[in-house]
Amino acid sequence: MTLLGERDPGQHGLPPSDHDDGGPADPRRDAGRAGRRNVIAEIAERRRADIREEMAGLTLDDHLALAAATLPPRPVVDRLAAPGLHLIAEIKRSSPSAGRIAGADDDIVARARAYEAGGATAISVLCEPHWFGGSVDDLRAVRAAVSIPVLAKEFVVEAIQLPHLRAAGADLVLLLAVLHPARELAALVDRALEIGLEPLVEAHDEREVNRAIATNARLIGLNNRDLRTLEVDTDRATRLRALVPDDRLVVAESGVRDPATVAAWRAIGFDAGLVGEALVRAADPAAAARAFVSAGRLPRDPANAATVPFVKICGVTDAEGILAAVRAGADAIGLNLVAGTPRELELGEAVALARVARSLSAAPPRLVAITADAGRERIAAIVTALDPDVVQFSGDETAEDLVAAGRPAWKAIRVRATDEPAGIVERARAFLSAGAERILLDAAGGVHPGGTGTRVDPTLAAAVAREVPVVLAGGLTPANAAEALRSIPAVGVDSASGVERPRVAGQRPTKDPLLVSVFAKRARAARVDRPNLAVRPTPVHPGLLEADQTGRWGTERQFGGRYVPETLMAALEQLETAYGAIRHDPVFWSELRELLSTYAGRPTPLYRADRLAYETLERSVALDPTARLPHRLRLYLKREDLAHTGAHKINNALGQALLTRRLGKSRVIAETGAGQHGVATATACALLGLPCVVFMGAVDIERQQPNVLRMQALGAEVRPVTSGTATLKDAVNDAMRDWVTNVETTHYVLGSAMGPHPYPTIVRDLQRRIGDEAAAQLADVEGRLPDLALACVGGGSNAIGLLDRFIGEASVRLAVAEAGGDGIATGRHAAAIAGGTPGILHGSRSMMLQDAEGQVLEAHSASAGLDYPGVGPQVAALAAAGRLQVEAATDDEAFEAMRWLSRTEGILPALESAHALAVLPRLLVTSGAAWADETIVLVGLSGRGDKDLASFGAWLAAAER
Amino acid sequence: MSVAEPPGGPSARTNTTTNGRRGTNETVGARRIRGAFSAARDAGRMALIPYVVAGYPDAATSLRIALAAIDAGADVLEIGLPYSDPLADGATLQRASQVALASGATLGASLRLIEEVAAARPGTPVVPMGYANQFLGGGDGADAARQLTSAGAAGVIVADLTPDEGGPFEAIARDVGLAVVYLVTPTTAPARRAAIAARSGGFLYCVSLVGVTGARSSLPPTVGRLVRDVTAVSPIPVGVGFGVSKPAHVRAIARAGAGGVIVASALVDALGPDGTDVARMERLVRDLAAATATPAKAGTRR
Repeated sequence: MTLLGERDPGQHGLPPSDHDDGGPADPRRDAGRAGRRNVIAEIAERRRADIREEMAGLTLDDHLALAAATLPPRPVVDRLAAPGLHLIAEIKRSSPSAGRIAGADDDIVARARAYEAGGATAISVLCEPHWFGGSVDDLRAVRAAVSIPVLAKEFVVEAIQLPHLRAAGADLVLLLAVLHPARELAALVDRALEIGLEPLVEAHDEREVNRAIATNARLIGLNNRDLRTLEVDTDRATRLRALVPDDRLVVAESGVRDPATVAAWRAIGFDAGLVGEALVRAADPAAAARAFVSAGRLPRDPANAATVPFVKICGVTDAEGILAAVRAGADAIGLNLVAGTPRELELGEAVALARVARSLSAAPPRLVAITADAGRERIAAIVTALDPDVVQFSGDETAEDLVAAGRPAWKAIRVRATDEPAGIVERARAFLSAGAERILLDAAGGVHPGGTGTRVDPTLAAAVAREVPVVLAGGLTPANAAEALRSIPAVGVDSASGVERPRVAGQRPTKDPLLVSVFAKRARAARVDRPNLAVRPTPVHPGLLEADQTGRWGTERQFGGRYVPETLMAALEQLETAYGAIRHDPVFWSELRELLSTYAGRPTPLYRADRLAYETLERSVALDPTARLPHRLRLYLKREDLAHTGAHKINNALGQALLTRRLGKSRVIAETGAGQHGVATATACALLGLPCVVFMGAVDIERQQPNVLRMQALGAEVRPVTSGTATLKDAVNDAMRDWVTNVETTHYVLGSAMGPHPYPTIVRDLQRRIGDEAAAQLADVEGRLPDLALACVGGGSNAIGLLDRFIGEASVRLAVAEAGGDGIATGRHAAAIAGGTPGILHGSRSMMLQDAEGQVLEAHSASAGLDYPGVGPQVAALAAAGRLQVEAATDDEAFEAMRWLSRTEGILPALESAHALAVLPRLLVTSGAAWADETIVLVGLSGRGDKDLASFGAWLAAAER
Repeated sequence: MSVAEPPGGPSARTNTTTNGRRGTNETVGARRIRGAFSAARDAGRMALIPYVVAGYPDAATSLRIALAAIDAGADVLEIGLPYSDPLADGATLQRASQVALASGATLGASLRLIEEVAAARPGTPVVPMGYANQFLGGGDGADAARQLTSAGAAGVIVADLTPDEGGPFEAIARDVGLAVVYLVTPTTAPARRAAIAARSGGFLYCVSLVGVTGARSSLPPTVGRLVRDVTAVSPIPVGVGFGVSKPAHVRAIARAGAGGVIVASALVDALGPDGTDVARMERLVRDLAAATATPAKAGTRR
């Protein structure tokens, strides 16, 4: 640690290296090598000289005295530990990279107030005079004008600057890792913390990150700008984020183009964004700040909400811990009543803490009494005295013991690394079926139940969590919670020792409020904008949920694959690699979600269609007056018809258009049947400025004129396909031929969950939010899953999009309606599953219509969107495994259903979607098992019917004649 | 999964004991095909492989066409099996397929054609070409492999089957002595070309261009380089097809060192709109055959 006067004033050099990391790269040397000026070195040297001058008459004691007399610092880490990304808005008059900044002569006090009004969490004030035109006076003025914390954006070269800045009112201070060797940096951090100045340690490469995280700093800044050259690399902070442990709060800096940058930072897991120039140049700083603040908020999206895990803070021992858990939004607080354990509470203490929790919030976390082999009498005493919401059993209790408590019971199962998953699953199922509400998986081995700090083997935990709902406990910390939740499909997390202050011998452990907040924040954000993670148990064959490495689905891996001409193999491998990189990339999914929400109208509504439900039951009774029908049918329509362009197809088209950009391709082709996918693709291409060619069978062009005109209006070229049957399958053939020819520049936006691997996965992933949203929306209004989920199926994108969410839910029956055309018996239909055989069509093996020699048969359906002789491999796999009931509706039945819905609910559905409604009366009558008295049915209303008006009108005229 | 990096690590690529992974180049059919290539090479030329569509324009005429093509200079004959959804084919072959199917072409009839050609011209290996659904469909392709072999086919080309998916079918083909011919294209990465060549039986089909079948007035300028590169990594003869329509194309391919050349759509075009101008097609085959002479120094290369 160098203090003023301890170093030769003429030296001006960088401090000697004192660490294995070689210390800071000598900025002057680096820049000298590159033959360019080195800005940070120049600034640092000048700063040293200034400080020498400014401080000449003062001693360290003067400054410390000054600091002691300063108003207390405003808390900042707690605010940054709250959910989402927070804005640190900057005030600077000029900068070496931008020169004098327009608008910077404004009244900085007014500007600071505007930032605060716009929702900024903190304000950063440049204090450096020569390059940035700032001063400590600026800092003082801003601090006095606002009530939020202020960051001193200063070039700290000497420890003596710290008390000086604190005295000026700084709540935070910037420390640049580039300027200090490791030991010196660590000492600066400690010095700042001692005087209540929260250090933000900034790094811009891996070595600096390592130096930064070796300090006690709670805030780590990652700068996109290289301070030596001032060059900005907008991906730098993103790349470095992975190197910072999750128990630090992380701030991204520089390179903000617009609020989308901030949204991406939030998605990656930054806690704050420091925005400078983009704000300083804004004419209306409050409005500009508001746009950034809004972009940093956790998205409100039902599909995301459903992935948020349950969070329990266990072994709370004092009121401060209770307050921390309540503030962090924990779902449950564990009060340990197990004798002889470190966090043991006397029953009276527990009662007092429960009172605190209940006084703090109208809806406090659930209070859990932790017991272990306590015996029924003791449990009864606990229940009487404490009135817990839950009793947790962490010993060797039996299922009967749980029931006897008379309270919701949670069972902790202690797992040894040598345990077999099957045995644990069996035990968990036994407890669940005896009435246990939750199962916790805890690591065995410690002398005491719980709080051992040991993690359950992740592979074992994942295997168990795949089968039964479990809350992970044992060894979880803010640093590892998110990673655990991404690799293990647990429904919740529990932490005790991982969120505590360092242990003091002989004292009861206490919770660290910041760690509690960060733990909850990390756990809750872990799966946000990662829609393709497994987040709950899915106790079915994995082949029904995901393709294997070779793209095969099914319990025998008998469907799927990649049967294409060799010319396309390279493109498919490129697509597979590119998609592999984005499948779990929250930035991609965040960008897509934003587009789907602001542009495409998602989430689409879930509508309870009571009049249609009545009509449906009437028809069921007419079919079979003796059938055991539900007493009440609550029929929910997932309104994809209300999505932009009038069908679910937009979900996939927007996603693949973004993917096209990532692939670096400049042209898009697509096939279309009913025109819905063509319109959606033309729309997405118009939005992203991509040329688009849509292949459409000549027969379909004839019957879907309105959509042809729409595609043309959107600037797409509609290429008629006259080969073969001139319908959808031939459009796919021609699209593939075009792709074979233009594969180097073109991405083929396949419209359904079919085709060669990885298309069935990509399209399913892009459509799965239909079911994810619907499940969350249903949970909101009904508190449970549907009894039946039903969709129409052609290629399968709408069906799998709705149903995928429920495949692993044993209580949900799944059904699809194929297009029965003139009736399956007539041979004129499009029922690839009910009336087809396994074969290879358009790149994958699945169910299809073909003759004995493998010639593809013409499909027949009045509905152009279902008029296709194949179906995607995942749907075929579900049907083959008996997980999916397959029905067919004839053209007449579908038109009839189109009429019911139009006239009972005022919703004109696409003819495709009407197939699902048409089979529902039959499904209710013929289903094997009895229906619940109150039955909930979810139907995917995949699109709107405007495009079908001509054929519907003709049918109506004939029917009503 | 890619051919270059099969699951199980890099060693799996050369693992000759794994089911299907040792290819079909040691089958009777592959030896017959290679024999035809080496006979041509010994005569100082590339092998000429005309393609005829079974049942086009009708069963009887297609037999005449096949025999005429052989008599006009074919070393190997490729017989296309009409398919409803030939997505690797351009307009000419799509139309021929449709016409053939409309005039009653069936697998049985195609097998009879193969049998008749094989019986009438036993010296010329016959290699049927079709799509995966015709051979594999929902099964493993055992029936198709057996039927093709007993009809006298030496090998089979499956337009939408790559070695990534072809392993099980290769194993079956090996059992009955049938060569499974694979394709490489300009988009096939170099490492993958070598891996495919190592799995192909009889010859390696090199697609000259990025696109579907169909006669082109000129071949892409890169074709010479492609053929040289593919030939360099292939342990078996390389036949070049797609787009080849005139003697100049054939000469260019010969100069590049290919072992053979495949001509399809141009011959179907030569048959005229109703598919019956056999004499004109025969003349074209002769003209193409005359262009197959290999440059003297190239003749010693293999």
